[in-house]
Amino acid sequence: MDDHALILKHPLRVRMFHYILVISFLPLALTGLALFFKAFDEPAMNLVMRIHVVAGVVLTLGSLGFFVIAYDRVVLFIRRSFAVTVNDVKWFAVLGGYPQKFLLRKKVAVPPMGKYNSGQKLFGACMLTGGALLIATGWGLWGFPHLLPHGMAHAFGEIHLILGLFLTLFLCVHVFLGIYMFHDFKAMFLHGRIPYAEAREAAPLWVENELVALRKE
Amino acid sequence: MESATKSFQKGEIPGIIAIDEATCKGCDSCKRHCPTGAITGMFGAVHRIDADRCINCGQCLVSCPFGAPFETVDAVETVLTRLNNKDVAVVGIIAPAVRVAIGEEFGLPAGTLATARMYGAMEKAGFKILDNNLAADLTIMEEGTELLHRIQGELSGGEAPEEGHGPLPQFTSCCPAWVRYVELNHPALIPHLSSAKSPQQMAGALAKTYGAQKIWGVEPGKVFTVGIMPCTAKKFEASRPEFISAYHHLAAGGGTYSGEAFPDVDAVLTTRDLARLLKKMGIDLAKEPGSAGDSVMAEYSGAGTIFGNTGGVMEAALRTVHAVITGTEMEPLEYRDVRGLKGVKSASVNLIDAKTGKALQVNVAVVHGLKENIGAIVDEVLSGRSPYHFIEVMNCPGGCINGGGQPVHPEGSGWMSAIAPLFAWR
Amino acid sequence: MGKKDYQYMENPFQVTRREFLSITGAIAAFTALPAVWVRSRVTKRNNYLRARAAGLYLDDRNAKIRVSHGNPVVTKIYDEFAHAPLSEISEALFHTRYINRSKGIA
Repeated sequence: MDDHALILKHPLRVRMFHYILVISFLPLALTGLALFFKAFDEPAMNLVMRIHVVAGVVLTLGSLGFFVIAYDRVVLFIRRSFAVTVNDVKWFAVLGGYPQKFLLRKKVAVPPMGKYNSGQKLFGACMLTGGALLIATGWGLWGFPHLLPHGMAHAFGEIHLILGLFLTLFLCVHVFLGIYMFHDFKAMFLHGRIPYAEAREAAPLWVENELVALRKE
Repeated sequence: MESATKSFQKGEIPGIIAIDEATCKGCDSCKRHCPTGAITGMFGAVHRIDADRCINCGQCLVSCPFGAPFETVDAVETVLTRLNNKDVAVVGIIAPAVRVAIGEEFGLPAGTLATARMYGAMEKAGFKILDNNLAADLTIMEEGTELLHRIQGELSGGEAPEEGHGPLPQFTSCCPAWVRYVELNHPALIPHLSSAKSPQQMAGALAKTYGAQKIWGVEPGKVFTVGIMPCTAKKFEASRPEFISAYHHLAAGGGTYSGEAFPDVDAVLTTRDLARLLKKMGIDLAKEPGSAGDSVMAEYSGAGTIFGNTGGVMEAALRTVHAVITGTEMEPLEYRDVRGLKGVKSASVNLIDAKTGKALQVNVAVVHGLKENIGAIVDEVLSGRSPYHFIEVMNCPGGCINGGGQPVHPEGSGWMSAIAPLFAWR
Repeated sequence: MGKKDYQYMENPFQVTRREFLSITGAIAAFTALPAVWVRSRVTKRNNYLRARAAGLYLDDRNAKIRVSHGNPVVTKIYDEFAHAPLSEISEALFHTRYINRSKGIA
């Protein structure tokens, strides 16, 4: 095997969608926090809310678009994110070896992972369900708070708040690790490719089971 | 509420409703329910209530998903003190709509008719009962008679209504939010408002005169009247300086009374307030065996009790007007054209005058949900094109049963207009 | 640049037909069921008002007397005290006047 061979990890459609998520979710998280803490004066809060709403619309339309254009990728993502194996338990037992690596400069044995490691799977599952709930409750709170039964509108508000804070926290971890895994960072933001050796190290099961070699020209 | 007291008379409570800044999320849902645009604060920023514009209806309070609006006036402790004072006769004036909603605060399903349980619970708490439905019956007599005078005044000719007869159409005046709405926004309509007080204020005046002297045998100054209302605006109404009429009547009436001045209604508890008071006293309304009421002051008619529904005042008035003009009772007594949750309901009733044999057509309209439905009706009256003789107006969608003082039902929303999204922006 | 600047890609057929259908079904169910539930709740949102209104109409149907002028206590109050609607006492105690507050919001 050629360690310098390249694997297409993130196809163009996925990279485009990730960009939409970046330009919508980051502002949503920041403005959401500002709204929660009532950080500014009245006109500024209004501006913050408008940005929140616009970013929310972008997120919604982007998600719907991706759903239509890349439904196969959605299905694949769901299958990968929600498939739990005994390896995931073992992975979480050592937290993927990351704390040991960062804090103790020590390498520990980590169970073999697929395309996403267990942490990424959890992140993916939470982002998908949480994001869907945030989008649904967000539209409810923006367009129909007068119409929804009181208890439901109140529940929408609570769900939106708790999930928003939860996913914002998740996002911080994601951004940090995403930049730390610099090959992946470049793949997601630029060309989609990662080196074979890198993939075999981080995602051996993926390399073993899910890849096909392209015919040499 | 700092300087926002421009639209208040001396002694009136400015701003019954305020918004808790910590709880408000700036979602704008209250603005969609506010009939007067009294709520300021841009979308996303904390909202505030302009007390000068506010008519105290409390629709924002019962509609806010987050429970941010609150009542600034709470008489529960005051009433508890009076109940503990054996020298004072505390009279509870029970509004119609309270009896079908208070059960919700004690775990009973919405709409449970709890009149007897309320009487029992309140007697246990130490109240004397004056059912406001009785005052509603009185209101029909006063307001109905006034209406007939106005109609007769109109029929006897003359562009300007003669002295004592206001112009047509006549508006009901039971709803204190509607009255303040007219006083604030359409003073030209004031002559159209029935001069009859709301049932609560009639009941207060009655309790401190006739009730004190002929029914309970108490000194009027020792009667403490408590309105038990589905309504936050009633708290404002009770504080109006016009409503110390019992005192004036007693003081002027041959000098029989020479104590300190007192208001007709001393305190107002909303349905929620009464539930809180009963709970504080350890009384569970749901477990009350019930009572028939302690005095004649709890005697009421079916016409009085439907006052709490939109169209109820109109239906009650039609029953009496029909009997007065034709000499026979309406058959059937139910008048379905004015029932239901349609925004504006109108009907025409043809009556044959028993004395003259002439036919008289009475056109009536019923409006509830001021925000959505009052505009066209007001425009018609202001331009002189209104085809109606009598118009019932209640601020809250559905009438008093959905008042700002009622329990907030978790599975409901009072929104009745089109199911249109209203995406806030400003 | 070559025709492809990578040598490996994901197998496009790794999801079985069965998995594809069940995931599609799950997505449909998780979107449709809450939507239907919310819709039914929203259409029932005024029911508590209808129940309260029905409670008052029930009170009316149960009442022995169903017209205001038939209430014996009303008659008693006029006989013993207020004389008649719009009498002097009635005007003093049961009627009021209103004020123009429009300057307060001008």
